[in-house]
Amino acid sequence: MKVSELTSLEALTCVQDTYTDAEISTGYTSDLLSDVMGNAEENSVLITIQAHKNTIAVSSLAGITAIIICSKRPCPEDMLKAARDEGIAVFQTADNQFNTSALIAQKLG
Amino acid sequence: MDYRADFHIHSCLSPCASLEMSLNSIVQRARNAGLNAIALTDHNCGFNLPAFGTICERHGMECLYGMEVTSVEEAHILCLFDQLDVAVDFGAQVYDSLPDFANQPEKFGDQPIIDADEEILGFAEKFLISASGFDIGSLVQEVHGLGGLVIPAHIDRAMYGIIAQLGFLPDEEFDAVELTAYGDQELAQHFPIIRSSDSHHLGGLGQAHTDLQMDRLSVAELRSSLWKKDAG
Repeated sequence: MKVSELTSLEALTCVQDTYTDAEISTGYTSDLLSDVMGNAEENSVLITIQAHKNTIAVSSLAGITAIIICSKRPCPEDMLKAARDEGIAVFQTADNQFNTSALIAQKLG
Repeated sequence: MDYRADFHIHSCLSPCASLEMSLNSIVQRARNAGLNAIALTDHNCGFNLPAFGTICERHGMECLYGMEVTSVEEAHILCLFDQLDVAVDFGAQVYDSLPDFANQPEKFGDQPIIDADEEILGFAEKFLISASGFDIGSLVQEVHGLGGLVIPAHIDRAMYGIIAQLGFLPDEEFDAVELTAYGDQELAQHFPIIRSSDSHHLGGLGQAHTDLQMDRLSVAELRSSLWKKDAG
């Protein structure tokens, strides 16, 4: 699945749309960024409530291609700018991490 | 002047701290442990700072006014001020930014606010261990704007240390980083190091400290002493 295919999911709103349309091969759900850094696979979509610029730094190091911020947590401007600079797509959803993970797992087949 | 400092101490207001952590007991025990500069740093608020200031003055103990803020990232960050009113105001902002989740004293412990005579004035209602609304970047900006110091706490700990939460030490304008008594100084990278006790009970006081050379205790003196010490 490509990052751009996430835009077809009704539950997600793209809040940072200047991104590299990379391949998403799997997902990783975590709110502890040291865990993401240590254990997420490359080309993952990250599902989290951690909405701040350090999430972008970790994602860039871990090879995360898109981020979904759950529970409608607000994304600060410095976070979105960092994501733009790194070419990482950021989506927002009102759903929680569990439901979002289920949705993405289904989409990835 | 030579200072032996501990800038990370909790009073009875922190639910995880022992109720024996009355302000008089803290100051007396700190002096007995050879400390001559201390800071009160309760979790996410500064409600006990006015009484702390009065009691330190009574005992001739030099002090800073602080709090241990839980950032959005759930990293613990010390914020230290030398102006009581500024610290109290900022503590109120941090407290207001906590979620509306009430403390349950039977599960988490009491959160008593006390006056200089150690009479209980009331209790902090919100659970003080929740995460505040300040992320690390905005905390640095706000606290520096108010003339305070920003120091990530116990960065060598596996729980709530900034490295444990993020996986790395972000490139922010921290004034220092804090290590526990025997924490690995390599973790500090280029930042000056303070060591503190993070005391939650009286027996903890004196178990870690930072030796400093300053003309007097203030934010400006401390900042310059830390960077000088580090360079030396």
